[in-house]
Amino acid sequence: MIPQLVTVRYRRSDGRRRRLFVPVLPVGLVLSPLLLLAVPAGLVACLATRVSPVGALRGTGQLLWALPGTRFEIEYGRTAVLVSVR
Amino acid sequence: MDEQRRHILEMLAEGKVTADEAERLIDALERERPESPPRAASGPKPRPKYLRVMVNWAGDSGGDGPGRVNVRVPLQLLRAGVRLTSLVPPQALTKVNAKLDKSGVPIDLTELKPQHLEELIEQLDDVTVDVDDPDAKVQVFCE
Repeated sequence: MIPQLVTVRYRRSDGRRRRLFVPVLPVGLVLSPLLLLAVPAGLVACLATRVSPVGALRGTGQLLWALPGTRFEIEYGRTAVLVSVR
Repeated sequence: MDEQRRHILEMLAEGKVTADEAERLIDALERERPESPPRAASGPKPRPKYLRVMVNWAGDSGGDGPGRVNVRVPLQLLRAGVRLTSLVPPQALTKVNAKLDKSGVPIDLTELKPQHLEELIEQLDDVTVDVDDPDAKVQVFCE
Protein backbone atom coordinates (compact mmCIF):
# COMPACT_ATOMS: atom_id res chain seq x y z
CA MET A 1 0.00 0.00 0.00
CA ILE A 2 1.45 3.37 -0.95
CA PRO A 3 1.25 6.19 1.61
CA GLN A 4 -2.09 7.94 1.54
CA LEU A 5 -1.80 10.68 4.09
CA VAL A 6 1.17 12.45 5.61
CA THR A 7 0.41 14.39 8.77
CA VAL A 8 2.77 17.06 10.00
CA ARG A 9 2.12 18.73 13.33
CA TYR A 10 4.31 21.23 15.04
CA ARG A 11 4.19 23.38 18.09
CA ARG A 12 6.32 26.47 18.30
CA SER A 13 8.01 27.72 21.44
CA ASP A 14 5.34 30.43 21.79
CA GLY A 15 2.70 27.70 22.01
CA ARG A 16 1.24 28.13 18.51
CA ARG A 17 0.24 24.88 16.90
CA ARG A 18 -0.06 23.96 13.25
CA ARG A 19 -1.38 20.82 11.62
CA LEU A 20 -0.79 19.93 8.02
CA PHE A 21 -2.48 17.02 6.29
CA VAL A 22 -0.94 16.09 2.94
CA PRO A 23 -2.97 13.63 0.83
CA VAL A 24 -0.23 11.92 -1.11
CA LEU A 25 -2.15 10.76 -4.19
CA PRO A 26 -3.79 14.12 -5.09
CA VAL A 27 -0.54 15.99 -4.43
CA GLY A 28 1.32 13.43 -6.56
CA LEU A 29 -1.19 13.96 -9.39
CA VAL A 30 -0.76 17.73 -9.18
CA LEU A 31 3.01 17.35 -9.24
CA SER A 32 2.98 14.67 -11.95
CA PRO A 33 4.41 17.02 -14.64
CA LEU A 34 7.40 17.60 -12.38
CA LEU A 35 7.67 13.87 -11.75
CA LEU A 36 7.76 13.29 -15.50
CA LEU A 37 10.73 15.63 -15.64
CA ALA A 38 12.35 13.89 -12.69
CA VAL A 39 12.23 10.46 -14.36
CA PRO A 40 14.67 11.30 -17.23
CA ALA A 41 16.86 13.20 -14.76
CA GLY A 42 16.98 10.12 -12.55
CA LEU A 43 17.73 7.93 -15.55
CA VAL A 44 20.67 10.14 -16.54
CA ALA A 45 21.91 10.12 -12.93
CA CYS A 46 21.72 6.31 -12.86
CA LEU A 47 23.66 5.98 -16.10
CA ALA A 48 26.26 8.50 -14.93
CA THR A 49 26.82 6.65 -11.65
CA ARG A 50 26.54 3.18 -13.29
CA VAL A 51 23.59 2.21 -11.17
CA SER A 52 20.95 -0.08 -12.66
CA PRO A 53 17.91 2.14 -13.43
CA VAL A 54 15.54 -0.83 -13.00
CA GLY A 55 17.06 -1.68 -9.64
CA ALA A 56 16.87 1.95 -8.54
CA LEU A 57 13.22 2.18 -9.59
CA ARG A 58 12.38 -1.06 -7.82
CA GLY A 59 14.24 0.04 -4.68
CA THR A 60 12.47 3.39 -4.64
CA GLY A 61 9.12 1.67 -5.12
CA GLN A 62 9.80 -0.72 -2.24
CA LEU A 63 10.84 2.18 -0.05
CA LEU A 64 7.65 4.08 -0.92
CA TRP A 65 5.48 1.02 -0.31
CA ALA A 66 7.05 0.43 3.09
CA LEU A 67 6.55 3.99 4.33
CA PRO A 68 3.02 3.71 5.84
CA GLY A 69 3.23 3.35 9.60
CA THR A 70 6.30 5.53 9.95
CA ARG A 71 6.10 8.06 12.74
CA PHE A 72 8.60 10.61 14.01
CA GLU A 73 7.86 12.59 17.11
CA ILE A 74 10.35 15.05 18.54
CA GLU A 75 9.65 17.24 21.53
CA TYR A 76 12.17 19.67 22.89
CA GLY A 77 11.05 21.98 25.62
CA ARG A 78 7.93 23.71 24.31
CA THR A 79 8.73 22.96 20.67
CA ALA A 80 7.44 19.78 19.11
CA VAL A 81 7.28 18.21 15.65
CA LEU A 82 5.34 15.15 14.60
CA VAL A 83 5.48 13.52 11.17
CA SER A 84 3.27 10.55 10.58
CA VAL A 85 2.78 8.59 7.36
CA ARG A 86 -0.38 6.56 6.93
CA MET B 1 -6.48 -26.55 34.09
CA ASP B 2 -3.66 -26.40 36.60
CA GLU B 3 -3.59 -27.95 40.03
CA GLN B 4 -4.15 -24.82 42.12
CA ARG B 5 -7.14 -23.70 40.10
CA ARG B 6 -8.66 -27.17 40.33
CA HIS B 7 -8.12 -27.12 44.12
CA ILE B 8 -9.95 -23.79 44.42
CA LEU B 9 -12.87 -25.13 42.38
CA GLU B 10 -13.00 -28.24 44.54
CA MET B 11 -13.12 -26.09 47.67
CA LEU B 12 -15.96 -24.11 46.07
CA ALA B 13 -17.83 -27.34 45.24
CA GLU B 14 -17.37 -28.60 48.78
CA GLY B 15 -18.69 -25.31 50.15
CA LYS B 16 -15.46 -24.48 51.97
CA VAL B 17 -15.27 -21.09 50.17
CA THR B 18 -17.92 -18.84 48.66
CA ALA B 19 -18.08 -18.01 44.96
CA ASP B 20 -16.69 -14.50 45.67
CA GLU B 21 -13.77 -15.92 47.61
CA ALA B 22 -13.07 -18.44 44.85
CA GLU B 23 -13.08 -15.66 42.27
CA ARG B 24 -10.67 -13.58 44.35
CA LEU B 25 -8.37 -16.59 44.79
CA ILE B 26 -8.34 -17.27 41.04
CA ASP B 27 -7.65 -13.59 40.34
CA ALA B 28 -4.75 -13.66 42.78
CA LEU B 29 -3.46 -16.80 41.11
CA GLU B 30 -3.51 -15.11 37.71
CA ARG B 31 -1.83 -11.99 39.07
CA GLU B 32 0.98 -14.12 40.44
CA ARG B 33 1.72 -15.49 37.00
CA PRO B 34 1.23 -12.74 34.39
CA GLU B 35 3.63 -14.52 32.05
CA SER B 36 1.69 -17.76 32.20
CA PRO B 37 1.06 -19.28 28.85
CA PRO B 38 -2.35 -18.30 27.49
CA ARG B 39 -0.50 -16.53 24.67
CA ALA B 40 1.92 -19.37 24.14
CA ALA B 41 -0.94 -21.81 23.97
CA SER B 42 -2.71 -19.71 21.35
CA GLY B 43 0.11 -20.19 18.87
CA PRO B 44 3.40 -18.56 17.92
CA LYS B 45 4.07 -14.96 18.92
CA PRO B 46 3.13 -12.55 16.13
CA ARG B 47 6.13 -11.09 14.37
CA PRO B 48 6.89 -7.47 15.23
CA LYS B 49 6.23 -4.94 12.50
CA TYR B 50 7.90 -1.82 13.81
CA LEU B 51 11.22 -0.75 15.24
CA ARG B 52 10.63 1.73 18.01
CA VAL B 53 13.17 4.18 19.40
CA MET B 54 12.18 6.21 22.45
CA VAL B 55 14.39 8.76 24.14
CA ASN B 56 13.32 10.82 27.13
CA TRP B 57 15.48 13.31 28.95
CA ALA B 58 14.84 15.58 31.87
CA GLY B 59 16.74 18.58 30.52
CA ASP B 60 18.19 19.75 33.82
CA SER B 61 21.62 20.30 32.30
CA GLY B 62 20.96 23.90 31.22
CA GLY B 63 19.09 22.98 28.05
CA ASP B 64 15.70 24.12 26.88
CA GLY B 65 13.80 21.85 29.20
CA PRO B 66 12.77 18.23 28.95
CA GLY B 67 12.59 16.50 25.63
CA ARG B 68 11.28 13.39 24.00
CA VAL B 69 11.99 11.54 20.78
CA ASN B 70 9.63 8.82 19.68
CA VAL B 71 10.39 7.15 16.37
CA ARG B 72 8.48 4.25 14.87
CA VAL B 73 9.88 2.76 11.69
CA PRO B 74 8.32 -0.22 9.90
CA LEU B 75 10.79 -3.10 9.67
CA GLN B 76 9.73 -3.40 6.04
CA LEU B 77 11.15 0.09 5.46
CA LEU B 78 14.48 -1.00 6.95
CA ARG B 79 14.48 -4.03 4.63
CA ALA B 80 13.76 -1.81 1.61
CA GLY B 81 16.53 0.55 2.65
CA VAL B 82 18.96 -2.31 3.06
CA ARG B 83 18.10 -3.57 -0.43
CA LEU B 84 18.95 -0.13 -1.79
CA THR B 85 22.51 -0.51 -0.52
CA SER B 86 23.07 -3.16 -3.18
CA LEU B 87 22.80 -0.33 -5.72
CA VAL B 88 25.80 1.53 -4.34
CA PRO B 89 28.51 1.26 -7.04
CA PRO B 90 31.69 -0.65 -6.03
CA GLN B 91 33.91 2.37 -6.76
CA ALA B 92 31.92 4.40 -4.22
CA LEU B 93 32.34 1.63 -1.65
CA THR B 94 36.10 1.62 -2.29
CA LYS B 95 36.24 5.35 -1.63
CA VAL B 96 34.16 4.99 1.54
CA ASN B 97 36.44 2.16 2.70
CA ALA B 98 39.50 4.33 2.17
CA LYS B 99 37.97 7.20 4.17
CA LEU B 100 36.86 4.85 6.96
CA ASP B 101 40.34 3.36 7.11
CA LYS B 102 41.82 6.84 7.28
CA SER B 103 39.50 7.69 10.19
CA GLY B 104 40.64 4.62 12.09
CA VAL B 105 37.60 2.46 11.32
CA PRO B 106 38.98 -0.42 9.27
CA ILE B 107 35.70 -1.84 7.99
CA ASP B 108 35.51 -3.32 4.51
CA LEU B 109 32.02 -2.46 3.27
CA THR B 110 32.45 -4.56 0.13
CA GLU B 111 32.34 -7.63 2.41
CA LEU B 112 28.94 -6.60 3.71
CA LYS B 113 26.52 -8.33 1.37
CA PRO B 114 22.80 -7.45 1.14
CA GLN B 115 21.83 -10.91 2.37
CA HIS B 116 23.89 -10.33 5.55
CA LEU B 117 22.05 -7.09 6.15
CA GLU B 118 18.73 -8.81 5.53
CA GLU B 119 19.64 -11.42 8.13
CA LEU B 120 20.51 -8.62 10.51
CA ILE B 121 17.09 -7.05 10.01
CA GLU B 122 15.43 -10.45 10.50
CA GLN B 123 17.15 -10.85 13.85
CA LEU B 124 16.15 -7.36 14.97
CA ASP B 125 12.83 -8.81 16.20
CA ASP B 126 14.40 -9.84 19.49
CA VAL B 127 16.49 -6.75 20.06
CA THR B 128 15.77 -4.72 23.16
CA VAL B 129 18.06 -1.94 24.30
CA ASP B 130 17.35 -0.11 27.55
CA VAL B 131 19.62 2.63 28.79
CA ASP B 132 18.62 4.20 32.09
CA ASP B 133 20.40 7.32 33.20
CA PRO B 134 19.29 9.68 35.98
CA ASP B 135 18.69 12.38 33.35
CA ALA B 136 17.73 10.34 30.33
CA LYS B 137 16.21 7.09 29.24
CA VAL B 138 16.69 5.34 25.90
CA GLN B 139 14.66 2.39 24.71
CA VAL B 140 15.02 0.53 21.44
CA PHE B 141 12.72 -2.40 20.78
CA CYS B 142 10.50 -4.04 18.19
CA GLU B 143 6.73 -4.18 18.51
